Amino acid sequence: MRHQSFLRQRYQAILGYTGLTCAIAGLCILAPLLALFAYPEEANLAWGFLLPGLGLSGLGVILWRSLAPKSGATLTLQEGSVIVVLSWFLAVLFGTVPFLTVGGLNFTQAAFESTSGWTTTGLSVVDVTATSNLILLYRSIMELFGGAGLAIITLSAIAGPVGASLSSAEGRAEQLAPNVRRSSKLVVIIYSSLCAIGIVALRISGVGWFDAVNHSFAALSTGGFSTRPDSIGYWDSPFVEAVTIVLMLFGGLNFVTIYLLLTGSIKSVVRNGQVRLQAFMIPLVAVIIFFGSAIGLYPTLGKAVRVSIFEAVTALTTTGFSTVGYGDWNSLPWIGMIVLMLIGGGAGSTAGGIKQLRIYILYRALISESKQMLLPKGAINETQIWQGEQRRFLQAKQIRQVSLFVFLYMAIFFIGSAIMMGYGYSLQDSLFEYASAMGTVGLSVGVTAADAPVGMLWAETVGMFLGRLEFFTVFVGVACMIRDFGPMVSRQTKPSS
Amino acid sequence: MVSNLFGGSAKQSQYIVIVGCGRLGSLLAGDLSSQGHSIVVIEQNESCLGNLSSEFSGFSVVGDAAELATLRQAKVDKADCLLAVTSEDNINLMVAQIARTVFEIPIVLARVFDPDREAIYQELEIDTISPTQLSADLFLQRLGERFENQSQQSAK
Repeated sequence: MRHQSFLRQRYQAILGYTGLTCAIAGLCILAPLLALFAYPEEANLAWGFLLPGLGLSGLGVILWRSLAPKSGATLTLQEGSVIVVLSWFLAVLFGTVPFLTVGGLNFTQAAFESTSGWTTTGLSVVDVTATSNLILLYRSIMELFGGAGLAIITLSAIAGPVGASLSSAEGRAEQLAPNVRRSSKLVVIIYSSLCAIGIVALRISGVGWFDAVNHSFAALSTGGFSTRPDSIGYWDSPFVEAVTIVLMLFGGLNFVTIYLLLTGSIKSVVRNGQVRLQAFMIPLVAVIIFFGSAIGLYPTLGKAVRVSIFEAVTALTTTGFSTVGYGDWNSLPWIGMIVLMLIGGGAGSTAGGIKQLRIYILYRALISESKQMLLPKGAINETQIWQGEQRRFLQAKQIRQVSLFVFLYMAIFFIGSAIMMGYGYSLQDSLFEYASAMGTVGLSVGVTAADAPVGMLWAETVGMFLGRLEFFTVFVGVACMIRDFGPMVSRQTKPSS
Repeated sequence: MVSNLFGGSAKQSQYIVIVGCGRLGSLLAGDLSSQGHSIVVIEQNESCLGNLSSEFSGFSVVGDAAELATLRQAKVDKADCLLAVTSEDNINLMVAQIARTVFEIPIVLARVFDPDREAIYQELEIDTISPTQLSADLFLQRLGERFENQSQQSAK
């Protein structure tokens, strides 16, 4: 009995804070309506956004006001996971409504598009030439919010729960400042300033205002939804590509690193393992693409160089803009792109994938393990890595966690790819497309389309959701809910003694 | 200005360094952190960081607080406030002195067990709290109340 009342009390707080996060997500669905000032002729579509936006915000505010404890409660990491999973699920669910009502998609397609938006993937089943400006902007704004993370925005905007469990559950364990709320505010300030700068920079390089806003949002959130069928390739301009590359690189950088860069601690940035890994991988794969395919395919040398660099950056930062198609490439550049998509961006950035930090930790662990074998039996050999401004030593526990994560990632990657192969796609296409979905990249070889098989779209949807929330949060959140649901409800029927 | 826009609390968020993460240090860190302050904890023994509650959302530095490098790593130079609450009086005194004279932190509070030393601290202009003195005062106060009650009862 006591356990039950304890659980009820905890879940009241959980639902309360879920409500708070949902209220923010609801505002995000309403946000595209601001575009009505520029496009008043689309006012007849507004109801498609008002309905889910007001619905989700209203539900959220009611839950928050009625259930959340008045003086911010402390949550454990498990409870944070439950909140994150619940609110992301609700955000995706309500996010489908605009696509269903005014976007002309069926439920599978709408769920796919909504997940792709919130998780900043950028795979799309929408025909961007035929769709309204409101829907286009809506997709970009979903990526903008999803990129920063719903929990981070909630923590920065309104008083949420005390402690760091909520942001950790969303994959943002590293903080910018020694207080979680101040840290979240800094993230949101940096992120929105970069977006504003990105919009202006894109406008100057010759992109129209509407496209500039959409592409700035999609580049910094490493989302990759474009307003053009040919993505960035539409402009075929070195300036636009250069600006986009810079924005994508910022999107793929850890927020702590960006903060250090802005505050002028260049030294800390240079010795950061993630930055080093990135500085090694991008040129390597760019060279592979250049000699593997680009030099023979494209008319001028300049175009070939541009394509090589752009595609390598878009894959590693998991953005998913593209300037060319990949159908005519050789196999070697393909595997290069797949590897980059699997590695993904920096831990604690807006990007997805396994994350550079994990790869770097495994690499360092491998080196130190090999060294250990050459040393005398009793020798102690500590490996240091720099994270932010702090020097850390590799712990066996950390290596274990990272290895398990990578194993799980690869396992789900192969299962997902196998499902796609089951629908009759080639090995190459399946690996590429599923790496793209799971890493929340959004590059496509044309497999993902509105007429794709329903089962395949769902497989990709699940991959995107798991990939964005880094599996364990989803597993822990769902497991907690299943575990606690029984005791919370079943004893209710017994008469209380 | 910006923090107001984002619904910042009326109280200004302070940067507080806490030296020592035992029972007292972790309690202070958790409470101050949940009040919205920026907290950095310095502790020599890494396993003691497990004392921190989940309310705590600050940073922790593992190292000897008597070394300048450790203090610099915790960015003591930017702190508004330092609390020296290790279980060693001498460490507390030394850290508090460094904080006061080298880093010129406006508010420095130190814990001191030995009441005899409080006089020295006061000479060095360091604000102290002595648990020994506090409990002695409380004991004497309670005892005084009881004596008073007794004498009142016997007078009746």
